[in-house]
Amino acid sequence: MLGQLFVRECRQTARSLIFWLTVLILIFDFTTQLGEMEIDEEPQPGQESYGHRQSKDPDVIMRSTLGQLTEEYVRENYTTYPIGFYKNVTLNEENDARIGEILEETAGIAGRESAEQIMEEWYAARNEPGLAGDSLKVEPADGLTYEHFTELMDEADKILGGGSNYGKEYREKNAQVPMTYEDAVKEYDALIEEDRLTGGYARLFCDYMVIFLGILPVFLAVTRGLRDRRSMMQELIYTRKCSSLTVIVSRYLAMLVMLTLPVLILSLNPLLKCMSYAGKAGIAADTLAFVKYTFGWLFPTIMIVSALGMFLTELTDTAAAVLVQGAWWFIAVFGGVDRLSGGMYGWNPMPRHNTELNWQGFHDGFAQLAANRLLYTVAALLLVLLTVLIYSQKRKGRLHIRGKILANRKSKS
Amino acid sequence: MERYWQIEKVNLKYHIPLHILVSALLLLMSPFLIGVANLGAQDTAKALEMYVALIGIVLLPPVFLPEQNHDIRDLVYTKYLNGPAIYLVRILGNILLMAVLLGLYIGMLVYNECEFPVGKYFCGTLTEMLFLGGLGVFFYGLCDNLIIGYMAPIVYYIAAIGGGEKYMKMFYPFSMVRGSYGEKVWLALGAVILVIGGVWLRCRRKRRLVR
Repeated sequence: MLGQLFVRECRQTARSLIFWLTVLILIFDFTTQLGEMEIDEEPQPGQESYGHRQSKDPDVIMRSTLGQLTEEYVRENYTTYPIGFYKNVTLNEENDARIGEILEETAGIAGRESAEQIMEEWYAARNEPGLAGDSLKVEPADGLTYEHFTELMDEADKILGGGSNYGKEYREKNAQVPMTYEDAVKEYDALIEEDRLTGGYARLFCDYMVIFLGILPVFLAVTRGLRDRRSMMQELIYTRKCSSLTVIVSRYLAMLVMLTLPVLILSLNPLLKCMSYAGKAGIAADTLAFVKYTFGWLFPTIMIVSALGMFLTELTDTAAAVLVQGAWWFIAVFGGVDRLSGGMYGWNPMPRHNTELNWQGFHDGFAQLAANRLLYTVAALLLVLLTVLIYSQKRKGRLHIRGKILANRKSKS
Repeated sequence: MERYWQIEKVNLKYHIPLHILVSALLLLMSPFLIGVANLGAQDTAKALEMYVALIGIVLLPPVFLPEQNHDIRDLVYTKYLNGPAIYLVRILGNILLMAVLLGLYIGMLVYNECEFPVGKYFCGTLTEMLFLGGLGVFFYGLCDNLIIGYMAPIVYYIAAIGGGEKYMKMFYPFSMVRGSYGEKVWLALGAVILVIGGVWLRCRRKRRLVR
């Protein structure tokens, strides 16, 4: 029975306008973001720049953080992520003065004019060869210990409302140092040996696709949820012999399959590019990397978004799930803007890793990523079970929220 | 006139309260999510164009929702009053609501010492709201499906965030951030065409159903 219903649901989905719009949007996303994807060449000695990496040296952390503080103090505008969400903070006079005092105590820079002068010198120096793209570094004041530095930075973070570049979590992130040729070769070797080329590009593919897959499934789920009522078939289906579990699970599985298929088909394009390059360069590429990443990285997102859509639609009989998922998407996407380089996946339902490199970051953050994906998979399954429960209650004539509560209240008064 | 006021009263009483609540919640939540105090012109534009304008998606597309149910639609279509008139009254009412909510929000920004050209930002943001909502109205009217009505402006918004300036050109919605208002004229024009087109498509469908 489940198999029959599943096939029928897949057929229905394939005839749905929303499904084909979803496919079109995924193709648009892919072609605009990854259509002109080129495979990285091996770094060569003597290049102008090799990018940046994060340092854990306290001295580097202090210089980078103070550079950032000087820059933001001059701009009179501070970037913060109080709840993992981008926010600009402009301080009032009192707090601005305190930040000035902190800057003076930690970097010996007295007043905004001195800070502006340092910025101007830095802008001029940036034009020199080899310094392009390098962030501002400011030397700590004489005798400043790392402990006192962290105390003052914590205070600055508190003044800014938390989540600033000076809080514990972000201080190390400030310590970006230019990569040397050796660093770049090491990074490239990791892409070839550890990721076997395709792994890195599969992550990049997931990074772009997850943005749209963080919302598109909800449209399909809500449309499917409302279809029976709209075509006035709800009561008829309720009376069928088939169990609620079979009805809901077959719909859910069909949705997952029909949403994953186009993603897998789209992944063939970067896969073929990688395989072609790997063939010429003699790299033993992993042919299944895109499939593994699609199921490991993207599938839990498709699962949770579809499940939430189904659950809220079954519960409310309205399109409320679109607005709820829209709000969640907004918070998740903007909450992840500071974590694009990968390695810091947190609990974001749309984990980002906007580079084919940084295998080390992926490796270090893998446990967190696995926990994240597992959490959303379990949450999705729970939501599906709850949907089954609501559906079976409705079949018994209960929980018909739409229009009934108000109607009952009116009739009693 | 009395008849049109009656339509709007019914709209306010039964159809739109939930959407007003969602919009108000969205605006009330903003201080926890984005900066709303001591902002310069660019940051204020960002808050208005990327956050506040979203209420256009919440408030405008559901104008056809009351007749979504076929039984109700059949009943309404037997009435004497012109279909487009009902929709236009609802649309104008909802636009007025959007303008009021936006006005209150901009008032709050001014109170919080944000520095920006108030009139220009009000008109620019309202235009973007209308375009987002207009997209919803048009696609709802075209496909007779509220979900597509929500999907179109949401996808447009996401595409604009993901480097859409390159593809959208004069229909790029976040132009005030870089101090440009020319795009708003195109958006306003687009919004008018989309709303009228959406209503026309909806009524065309109605006539076909009545026959």
